[in-house]
Amino acid sequence: MTHAEDYTLAELMCVVAARSFPAKGVVMLGMGLPVLAGTLAKLMHAPGISLCTEVGAFDWTPPEGLTRAPIGIHDMLLNDGSAMVSDMVDALGTLLMGGNVDLGVLGAAQVDRMGNLNTLVLGDYRQPERRLGGTGGNTEIACLARSLLTMMPQERRRFVERVDFNTSPCYITGPGSRRQAGLQPSGPNRVVSTFGVFGFDTPDGGETGSCEMVLEAVFPNMDPDIVKLETGWNLRIADEVSELEPPTVEEIALLRRLDPHGFYLVPGRY
Amino acid sequence: MTASKLMSESEAIDRFVEDGDSVYVGYTSAAYGLCQAIVRAGKRDLEAIGGSVGPQGSYLFLSGCANLVRSGYVAAALRPGIVQDMMEDGSLKFEDYSNQAIALMLMAGALGIPFIPTRSFLGTDYLRAEYQEHPGGFLGDKKWAQMESPFDGQKFVALPALRPDVAVLHAQRADEDGNVQAWGHMGDAKWAYWAAKKVIVSVEEIVPHEVLASDPGRTVVPGFRVAAVVHMPYGAHPSGCSGYYDFDYGFQARTSTRITGSREAWQAFADEWIYGVRDRAGYIAHLREVFGQDALDGIRADAGQTPAGGVRYGYASQLRFRM
Repeated sequence: MTHAEDYTLAELMCVVAARSFPAKGVVMLGMGLPVLAGTLAKLMHAPGISLCTEVGAFDWTPPEGLTRAPIGIHDMLLNDGSAMVSDMVDALGTLLMGGNVDLGVLGAAQVDRMGNLNTLVLGDYRQPERRLGGTGGNTEIACLARSLLTMMPQERRRFVERVDFNTSPCYITGPGSRRQAGLQPSGPNRVVSTFGVFGFDTPDGGETGSCEMVLEAVFPNMDPDIVKLETGWNLRIADEVSELEPPTVEEIALLRRLDPHGFYLVPGRY
Repeated sequence: MTASKLMSESEAIDRFVEDGDSVYVGYTSAAYGLCQAIVRAGKRDLEAIGGSVGPQGSYLFLSGCANLVRSGYVAAALRPGIVQDMMEDGSLKFEDYSNQAIALMLMAGALGIPFIPTRSFLGTDYLRAEYQEHPGGFLGDKKWAQMESPFDGQKFVALPALRPDVAVLHAQRADEDGNVQAWGHMGDAKWAYWAAKKVIVSVEEIVPHEVLASDPGRTVVPGFRVAAVVHMPYGAHPSGCSGYYDFDYGFQARTSTRITGSREAWQAFADEWIYGVRDRAGYIAHLREVFGQDALDGIRADAGQTPAGGVRYGYASQLRFRM
């Protein structure tokens, strides 16, 4: 196994996210990079997982001779190789709300100290600095999947103390708040950024512990203090921060093969 | 046999879309051709509906046909531009839901029940009391309600049933009676076929009834619920239609994603690709002129993938049994 010499931070984030997929279980992929990371995971790290989309693809296995990862969750490619295709009531209702999704993989514009996401608006909801595209199925995946993996570029404007608008709850305001809201526990949850990997300080999906985000591992040559600089609150660092294995030549090569049109990894294209 | 539902796109829009209608446009099974026909017909005061509303829905906002949107995701607002501006300055009113919410609301509309419970939105800022009367919104406190289950006291959000006045959808095939077959992941389109008061469908192919009847499990709506069927090859372009063609990402990059950048960009696009052509056939002819036949060949779905083991919906026509 040779380590790759040349890779971007976005590629690194995809590889580390793919490695952190569970060996099996039902995974719902959100829009954007989760689709690329999920395809990489299915092909290389976790062939036993069942990949699903909110649009209605259930347990997608990349077909023989795959030439690309699905371009978004609407790609016709997801109709080829799925065990079942159906609709959104089945995917976000029967499958997700029915309690069948083990892991949701999500991106967003902002993540906060308690892991909540914002996909909707920057600034005040009623007088926004900027409207965004919107939540799609991000809200229900965060509410209803048994655990969450969030992919988020490490930038101070994205890692904020409190999201401008909580579209997608993780631990909301802290211990007990999921239950108070009427939600089931969620976890163990992870955030993978372009700098490292974060967990949350709760042993039971949000009932106890501080529930705040904790830096657990950093990418090669990354100083935890740099991660703190690109985080909008006083980030907690685990007692022992491990250093992640750099991506291998094979991982980077496959990742690039999965994105031949540069939809995901060419800056500014997606 | 019922009377043929087959008609031209302009006739379908003239007869079945009225000013002030709420129109399901959606994202998957996106009826780009029908949306462009609505723009050409100059309809006014429409509302666009879809769990996600694709670029074809933004044609309705940008042309001034629609001034309301009920959705969880507006693709045209993903990047800074005039759709974001319209949502911020109030010229496009919106109600923020989600993919699951709109899908369930359409399902409730189809089922004829007044609301449907969900566990989504619990714990989010959407439910904060001070956000219920939003200056950009139009439903006020009728948008949803927080309730407890009358059976076990569990918390949920009650979503109001949604019955769009009309749905415009694209599918693979139909017969002249309006029986529609579609396959592939369907997003929230499946329930829009049943929730809408009037259903207009464009299809890649018109086939004899016998073809549909040989595979009835693929029918998504029977003809008696369909107002109009339009034969429209490439009616979903530049989105895709499973088994026929993929999304045309090149066209989208050159046109769809730029049109929200400025009024001028939108007008240039509309003049060329909507007002500049008579109908979808004209649009496809123009696509060939500008980009060559390769633009269509490049997105064509692989053929010949049907695996062995086709299903027969057989039955015992000579049924015999003893009681």
